[in-house]
Amino acid sequence: MSIAEMPTQVIILPDVPVQPEPRPAPVRRSRTDLYVVGGLAAVVLFFMAWNITGFPTATDDEGTYLAQAWAVQNGQGLAHYTYWYDHPPLAWIQLAGLAWLPAMLFPDLIAVAAGRIAMLPVVAASLVLVYVISRRLELSRWAAALALLTFGLSPLSITMNRQIYLDSFAVAWMLAALALALSPRKHLWHYAAAGAATAVSVLSKETMLLTAPAVLVAMWQNAAKTSTRPWAFGGYTSGIVLVGVFYPLYALLRGELFPGEGHVSLIGAWQFQLMSRSGSGTVFDEGSGSHSLITSWLYYDTVILAAGLVATVIALAVRRLRAPAIAATILAVVALRPGGYLPAMYVVQILPFFAIVIAGVTDEGVRRLEPQRSWWRWAILGVAAATALTLVLPRWYVGDRRALTTDDNAQYVAAATYLRDELPDPERATIVVDDVLWIDCVDAGFQREKVIWFYKLDLDTAVARTLPDGWRDVDYIVSTPALRQDPGSLPTVTKLLTNSTPIATFGPEDGRIEIRRIDKEKP
Amino acid sequence: MIVVSLVLAGFAAVTLWWTMHAWRTPETLASTRFAAPDGEHRLTFSLLVPARHEQAVLEHTVQRLLESTHEGFEIIVIVGHDDPETAEVAHRVAATAPGRILVVTDTNEQKNKPRALNTALPYCRGDVVGVFDAEDQVHPQLLEHVDHAFRSTDADVVQGGVQLINFHSSWYSLHNCLEYFFWFRSRLHLHARKGFIPLGGNTVFVRTDVLRAANGWDGTCLAEDCDLGVRLSSRGAKVVVAYDSAIVTKEETPGTLTSLLKQRTRWNQGFLQVYRKGEWRRLPEFGQRMLARYTLTQPFLQAFSGIVIPIGIAIAIWAQLPVFVALITFVPVIPMAANLVFQTVGLRDFGLQYGLRTRWHHYARLILGAFPYALVLAVAALRAVWREYTGKRNWELTAHTGAHLTKQPVKAESGVAA
Repeated sequence: MSIAEMPTQVIILPDVPVQPEPRPAPVRRSRTDLYVVGGLAAVVLFFMAWNITGFPTATDDEGTYLAQAWAVQNGQGLAHYTYWYDHPPLAWIQLAGLAWLPAMLFPDLIAVAAGRIAMLPVVAASLVLVYVISRRLELSRWAAALALLTFGLSPLSITMNRQIYLDSFAVAWMLAALALALSPRKHLWHYAAAGAATAVSVLSKETMLLTAPAVLVAMWQNAAKTSTRPWAFGGYTSGIVLVGVFYPLYALLRGELFPGEGHVSLIGAWQFQLMSRSGSGTVFDEGSGSHSLITSWLYYDTVILAAGLVATVIALAVRRLRAPAIAATILAVVALRPGGYLPAMYVVQILPFFAIVIAGVTDEGVRRLEPQRSWWRWAILGVAAATALTLVLPRWYVGDRRALTTDDNAQYVAAATYLRDELPDPERATIVVDDVLWIDCVDAGFQREKVIWFYKLDLDTAVARTLPDGWRDVDYIVSTPALRQDPGSLPTVTKLLTNSTPIATFGPEDGRIEIRRIDKEKP
Repeated sequence: MIVVSLVLAGFAAVTLWWTMHAWRTPETLASTRFAAPDGEHRLTFSLLVPARHEQAVLEHTVQRLLESTHEGFEIIVIVGHDDPETAEVAHRVAATAPGRILVVTDTNEQKNKPRALNTALPYCRGDVVGVFDAEDQVHPQLLEHVDHAFRSTDADVVQGGVQLINFHSSWYSLHNCLEYFFWFRSRLHLHARKGFIPLGGNTVFVRTDVLRAANGWDGTCLAEDCDLGVRLSSRGAKVVVAYDSAIVTKEETPGTLTSLLKQRTRWNQGFLQVYRKGEWRRLPEFGQRMLARYTLTQPFLQAFSGIVIPIGIAIAIWAQLPVFVALITFVPVIPMAANLVFQTVGLRDFGLQYGLRTRWHHYARLILGAFPYALVLAVAALRAVWREYTGKRNWELTAHTGAHLTKQPVKAESGVAA
């Protein structure tokens, strides 16, 4: 039997229409979201930027990060002193990439004030991402806008986000990771990018690692019931590990991975931070550092913290809100744990997640209420909204007005001006300052090696070696609240303060800045 | 140093990107499968089975082809005039199914696969010519799917999936299997979509008129399959690739490392020949030509980077280069290591789809064997260049032992309508 004889049906067929490959339909999204997020972010940024140089008071931490960014910009390594792996360096490397522009545009501002302007794009990114994440969590447009405004206009948020903190960078990257993990197209490379963004976030501020489980949960939920879930996790793992490994690799290449004699090390720094660092006490102990810190956060804004905590508990029960709720839960539990160390800027990390869950729970509540069903449901909604607004608006008005009008940094500006214009021959003088004024001193003409961050006098042997005669080699000390914070813990600083006389004084009593000349002849 | 590292990283990233094509989104993965057949048999097939010193496996292969559920097909076994053992098996099997099986004797002085196929081409009576190797394990429902694929997509060429199965045989077979898995499961689909495709050596179906118009296979080329794909692509033929773990054609890895090396040398040399022929220059779009250029030279880029990247890192560490430069030399490792992560996921997926147990030591073998395997590929690439340069263009055949012919249940991937 040949083919011709086989029982094959031979039929003249009409042309079969070509079946195109099943592609996802092009997502035709209206531009409304773009306008909403653009408009709201612009409003928030206005509040953020107005008086950013005047409020809040410049802190030593801000100056330190900015000085480290300055070191990166000037090719002097990763820090203005020996980099000892206290924090991963990516945040101030990014800051270095941003800070040169405002420093060039506003040469009259003190360094920290100009540096704060560089934080605005970072905050802008976080604002947009909060909106995007909210939308990807299927929040209504008004709820996503609520999340953005809560995150943006809370007085606590305005206060913290204006400052130069590593946490703001870490938050922006972790929000990016979360947004990517919620990719509507469930694209493999979005998941890989989410992994990379997580790594960048953790390398910007190590404590952000606490929120990584939220990204995993978001991915797990987003990739549910798809054939590509294992690949998604493979992509995420690749992203996080392969970007993250560059930090220990850097330490390894410098021979600073393992602890050893005569050099700093990554693992040594971890050991110090995890085991030796003294805790700041329990929140519930009135005299503890943690307690006063949390009290100060509550002073700026009770609303976002209280409402955020309540909303977090509720949001854990709602599937679509679980990812941000998990991030908020972990951060809150860690903050309230007894005995641990609580950094001053810790709250920066929790704010966007609180904002998202607050808006998410509101959205969920409105959906359950189904106000379109009857007029009285609308009435309930109206009463609830009015109550919330009357509770929130007056407090935020007071807080935001303070942020927009107070000038807490006048004495720093005055001191910086004095250092630049009045002090004789800065080229040869040795000066001890806090980090807020460090860059300003270098800019004023002091030699970089002879501007000494007070903190390093007693703690960095390399600095001590540059002063063979001890405190007598110092010519000036600038006494600021930050420098006077822990009297007695730094002996050389104490000695300098006692053996010196003020030549210029700025500011009110509690925030006083003195420029003091060292009395070298004293015994 | 920095430039080289970044260029290498770029190449590795692009390769990774393409390798992972099928898994980009759930939609892409769904589109790589055969559509469910409608049960109608409207095309007729001529299935070519060239066999050379393959008396051990030929009978089994042909018997299995005969089990095909499709109604309209003939089998043409091609044997050499100097290979009486295989010819004897071929004739004996042909006698069991007269009219279905035709034995054609290749009398070419120099024997190779494309010449054997060309010898059989005039005898083909079906609408579609299909090619199988003598050791292939073909699924009975494959032809039905292919029939439907031709009709529903208006294709000129349908490439079915081929999968090496015996990943447990040796350390390199694991890598070899995964290479096939990623190539047929993912990469070929990208090529089909972009309109430039180096076809596989078997389970490839071409409309007979298209094949005749292209003058069949190139008898002098060591990678006749790749060459055919390139020529057909350049003429604008529509190629469809479909992979379905349930009906994939199963093969075995080369039995020894030497034969793997020879096989890979032949392919690489074939790619080089196809590249030098320059048929790909006729591709209409610039992007397609770049893809062709990249794909045909990829074995060599891969070999090059496999050697250069470790050397670069070694220099960076021992020569005490600045830390920044040293870090850059590690950048190309990112896509390579990511590839390894995806291979790990792939091994799991592979095991699930084929109902094979993957144990921890397989994963260990995967990770530990990655670099040695890259070395083998590099040696094969260098050998290919050397042979092409010195004009050695004979056919080094791979011997087959039948290691994949154990009965193993195949578990269909979820969502597949087999």
